[in-house]
Amino acid sequence: MVITKKCLSRRTVLRGLGAGIALPLLDGMVPAFAAIRNTAARPVKRLGAVYVPNGMSMARWLPATEGSLELTPILSPLASVRDRVLVLSGMDNSAAKQLLNEGDGDHSRCQAAFLTGAHARKASGTNTTLHVGVSMDQLAAHELRADTQLASLELSLEANELVGQCEDGYGCAYSATLAWRDASTPMPMETNPRAVFEHLFGAVGSTESEARLRALRRDRSILDSVREELTDLQRVLGRGDRSKLAGYLDSVRDIERRIQIAETQSDRELPEVVQPAGIPANFEDYANVMFDLMLVAYQADLTRVCTFLFGREKNVRTYPEIGVAEPHHPVSHHRQRPEQLEKLAKINTFHMQIFGRFLEKLRSTEDGDGSLLDQSMIIYGAGMSNSNAHEPTDLPIVLAGGGAGLVKGGRHVRLPPGTPLANLHLTVLDKMGIPAEQLGNSTGEVAVLSDV
Amino acid sequence: MLRLARVVSCGCMLAVVAACYLHVARLHAAGPQAPRARAASILTSSVAVSTASPDPRALLDQYCVTCHNERLATAGLLLDESDVEHVGAGADTWEKVVRKLRSGEMPPPGRRRPDKPTLDAFVTWLETELDREAAAHPNPGRPADHRLNQFEYGNAIRDLLALEIDAASLLPADESDHGFDNIAEVLSMSPTLLERYMFAARKISRLAVGDPATGPAIETFNVSRGLRQDDRMSEDLPFATRGGMLVRHYFPLDGEYVVKIRLGRNFTNSQIRAIRTREEIDVLLDGARITRFSIGGECVESDDPDPRCSGTGIYRTSPYQLTADDALQVRFSATAGMHSLGVAFVKKSALTEGPAPTLLPPRHTSSTYTAPRMDVDWVRLEGPYNPTGPGDTPSRRRIFVCQPTGPSNADACAAQIMATLARRAYRRPATDSDIETLLRFYRIGRQEGTFEQGIQEALARLLVSPHFLFRVERDPASVQADAVYQISDLELASRLSFFLWSSIPDDELLDVAARGTLRDPGILDAQVRRMLADRRATALVTNFGGQWLHIRNLKAVDPDARAFPEFDDNLRDAFQRETELFLESQMREDYPLEELLTATYTFLNERLARFYGIRNVYGTHFRRVELSDPRRAGLLGHGSVLTVTSYATRTSPVVRGKYLLDNILGAPPPPPPPNVPDLPAHGDDGEPASIRERMEQHRANPVCASCHTRMDPLGFALENFNAIGKWRTTDGTSAIDASGVLPDGTTFAGPDEFRRALLMHRDEFVRTFTEKLLTYALGRAVQYYDMPAVRTITRDAGPDNYRWSSLILGIVKSQPFQMRKASL
Repeated sequence: MVITKKCLSRRTVLRGLGAGIALPLLDGMVPAFAAIRNTAARPVKRLGAVYVPNGMSMARWLPATEGSLELTPILSPLASVRDRVLVLSGMDNSAAKQLLNEGDGDHSRCQAAFLTGAHARKASGTNTTLHVGVSMDQLAAHELRADTQLASLELSLEANELVGQCEDGYGCAYSATLAWRDASTPMPMETNPRAVFEHLFGAVGSTESEARLRALRRDRSILDSVREELTDLQRVLGRGDRSKLAGYLDSVRDIERRIQIAETQSDRELPEVVQPAGIPANFEDYANVMFDLMLVAYQADLTRVCTFLFGREKNVRTYPEIGVAEPHHPVSHHRQRPEQLEKLAKINTFHMQIFGRFLEKLRSTEDGDGSLLDQSMIIYGAGMSNSNAHEPTDLPIVLAGGGAGLVKGGRHVRLPPGTPLANLHLTVLDKMGIPAEQLGNSTGEVAVLSDV
Repeated sequence: MLRLARVVSCGCMLAVVAACYLHVARLHAAGPQAPRARAASILTSSVAVSTASPDPRALLDQYCVTCHNERLATAGLLLDESDVEHVGAGADTWEKVVRKLRSGEMPPPGRRRPDKPTLDAFVTWLETELDREAAAHPNPGRPADHRLNQFEYGNAIRDLLALEIDAASLLPADESDHGFDNIAEVLSMSPTLLERYMFAARKISRLAVGDPATGPAIETFNVSRGLRQDDRMSEDLPFATRGGMLVRHYFPLDGEYVVKIRLGRNFTNSQIRAIRTREEIDVLLDGARITRFSIGGECVESDDPDPRCSGTGIYRTSPYQLTADDALQVRFSATAGMHSLGVAFVKKSALTEGPAPTLLPPRHTSSTYTAPRMDVDWVRLEGPYNPTGPGDTPSRRRIFVCQPTGPSNADACAAQIMATLARRAYRRPATDSDIETLLRFYRIGRQEGTFEQGIQEALARLLVSPHFLFRVERDPASVQADAVYQISDLELASRLSFFLWSSIPDDELLDVAARGTLRDPGILDAQVRRMLADRRATALVTNFGGQWLHIRNLKAVDPDARAFPEFDDNLRDAFQRETELFLESQMREDYPLEELLTATYTFLNERLARFYGIRNVYGTHFRRVELSDPRRAGLLGHGSVLTVTSYATRTSPVVRGKYLLDNILGAPPPPPPPNVPDLPAHGDDGEPASIRERMEQHRANPVCASCHTRMDPLGFALENFNAIGKWRTTDGTSAIDASGVLPDGTTFAGPDEFRRALLMHRDEFVRTFTEKLLTYALGRAVQYYDMPAVRTITRDAGPDNYRWSSLILGIVKSQPFQMRKASL
């Protein structure tokens, strides 16, 4: 077992406290680790999806020309990773469109359809069950789960604390997550960096592998016992009541599986990370630390599938730090007014800067024969184009990363009008090595990613 | 409707219903004291139902089917073919009709409508028919298994183990639906969540037992950057202090702890803010001073170099100005348990202190903000060092109901401890199998260490049990599929405690329920009144009220710092406190519900009083203040409500109007059609139009008008309050015009008249409140089949002037709260 302890100097802490006292675990005193092996013969590919809410200021997004990528104002933060960025236009997500007499709910439908290609069901009468479709990341997670401790990681920059913000008839879950394990099971997204850290590295008050293993074994005996208790409880309950407890049982199995993998991988070294204290007050810091955690999860191969939500649809965050004092959602209803479009573009560009910085970090992180960016496929985009009219057509989409040689960047490709977004997902899954025939409303694959 | 028909066929069910159904009989008896107009019509109609004066079919044909017919299918509603003689078969449709007629939305303006008495008689007849159907074929619904949400979990731990935890730091926030985050349908389990519950269980059991192996840890408490540290920051800090913070923290063991203070820095030069002014800082434990630090001050030129004198560089910064606060640390002894740790500046002169609302707030302006005074950035607590033991904490007293005197009786004592805990945690008497499961973990811990370690292990196991984390109601074996039955006394006790306390039942309630006497005459009333009088009932107003009125969103609002420099976190906190105290006083003093809108008192501290323009309120503590000026009367005068219904830069009459329709009048407008054209920003004369002028366009366009004639006037009535709730008479250059006409023709000018106009719609307000509270009480969406129960509750509360207790008792005794439908 190799543990490289590249810790903070403990003298820093000692100073002023007097000698001879035990030392607490300080933020930052988490051990140094190194990345997993990744070989060209069998590259480990990573999948990601990043969502920005409330559409896009399209005139400042869409490159005028096809072919070699021209960086428009919103895309300009991607300059340093331009060769690893493929901008795709022309795709629709018709699953997000309103059905006859269905009424409002575009925001919820657009977000819920983004990775599912499926139509979010609106509650009517007593039928209030959530229903959309399995998301592409979860299809991948299901296939890849055997190799990593976590099947997938879901991150969001917006907590579920607000009330009265979700669209009439649509459960808040439709806009709280991107990931759906199945049509009715949303995957909750984690918003607190500290909790993400504990999720990735364990919540043990010790950095030692031995202590971690001991804690894992204790957790396993608790889970064993909970599983028995659940089975007994289900036996005495009516058939209809089992669904909630079944979800509990699935969760128990999931964590048990993770513990098994963690035990077999306990001698693996992990990257050096600093434990975050909580949610930073500044949005940019917040987004950066969450992207750092996503990077670490990829780097340490704790998971190969991540989704990332910049904010839920109808998000009302204000961005005074870039001169936008009005909330995002009202700004996105720009009425085609130049000054409003300008503000929306500022927000769009700000998000892209943060994403661009993440891509740069992926590029500077070695992995296998190249960089993490070379091995990844990360879809970035919005669920609507023109937010003023809530249009889920001609969506703004970027596919970042080299896909281990299967994606050729530095281009803007215009797909035939009306190509379902789900076709891109199907293609990306295919390149991940995930067999999937169909996702939501997909009609086939798009054959342009590798320029063949 | 097929399902209803099946219920009818189930004979045994009727017997169950007859035995327990508390309400329907009283419904018809609700007699002479009921509110005059409604009661009279109820009586007439229930006496003479079959000969209801309006012929319902003819009325529908005359006024409704022009649009709502099979061919046009307006709003998907077909009234031409519907069977109005048998409303039970289409109860969901008819409940919609009732709602639209009661709110006056239908028939729409411009269409022919019957005179008011005819319309009222028709609606009343319809309601009575629906209620009669519901009484004959009850459907109390079936809430899904209910996972404890974050708030409930925290309260349950407090009541189970006498341990206050910060649940928000241990568990993620929950999904909300139908306006509340306790809706069973969406409270499910996921691997991520289970991991958090496991983590929380470990941490809590360690703290509660007082694990002697607990190592030292560092906890950092940040002072919000949006807080001005000009005044006393907490009512638990001494009067003559300003700034700093008060932290409530659980000290895991008896031992030594170190507190360290970091001061705020200037953004430009990293110097400690206002370091040239001498300050004294007190550190207090439970109000008693541990130490007083002195720091800062002018440089004294002398032979002996003064470290405070400026150094070199462009800012002429000395090391002292950068690092003086390194010295702000102190080591002290503390006992295990909850303590309040205070850090505050000693207030120097009343003249220079106090709120200074003309300054730009510290938010978002950190690059230019230079505080005129020293402030605290964070407080860090480290420890325990040299621990001496777990101490004598309330948690340990709660857990260790016995102490083994030797190895021979240790196991028996462990069993007694776990049985006591499991009974409270599982909210029912513990079974042998429950206890055996827990004791397995006790034995594991015991083997590795001590008796107490065994208890700690077993407690960690208990806290992830599905019996604790889920509220599961079981269909009794004797009940047939899909039948309606009365839930058990123990299940009712849990429903009560989670409704009124957002927590587990206490021993008294459990005892009554376990004896099976909870529903005995007078007992249920007495228990509910006892629970409402308990301090735990505060959860009802903070949790329910905070969500119903969107007060929770206050912490996320972000008024534009340039437009509203007055707004800072001190004001934000004061807004929230005002509304919480007001709601609590309304509930505890059992006011009639309409007082929520009309009360001429509120709760203020100096800061908030100044903001409202109210004199003679001094100091930071909140006290009840009678309002001489009616403009701030009731909830609609609260800064909290007015701020959460505004945009960051301006008010929105539409948002406020919709809020009132949704939450006060219960007549939510349909969502706007997509791709609405822009409102012209300039009038015909080319001058910029006021918001009101622009909104007038809503009325010019018939598509907009159908909803905006209902929304906008409500919002305009509150235009005298700006986007952070401050009184104003002009907006920019235009004078505020807070007059308007309600759809029913009532005219008003200004918030006071508007409030009186709203009172004409008291019935709608009471119904809306009841629907919201019932949603919260049941943890599920209120459905059409619950509307008869809602009407019963409100009718029965009428003679008591719709006091809080009568509405709450009405809910507790209602069919959906008392009963449940068996699974299919």
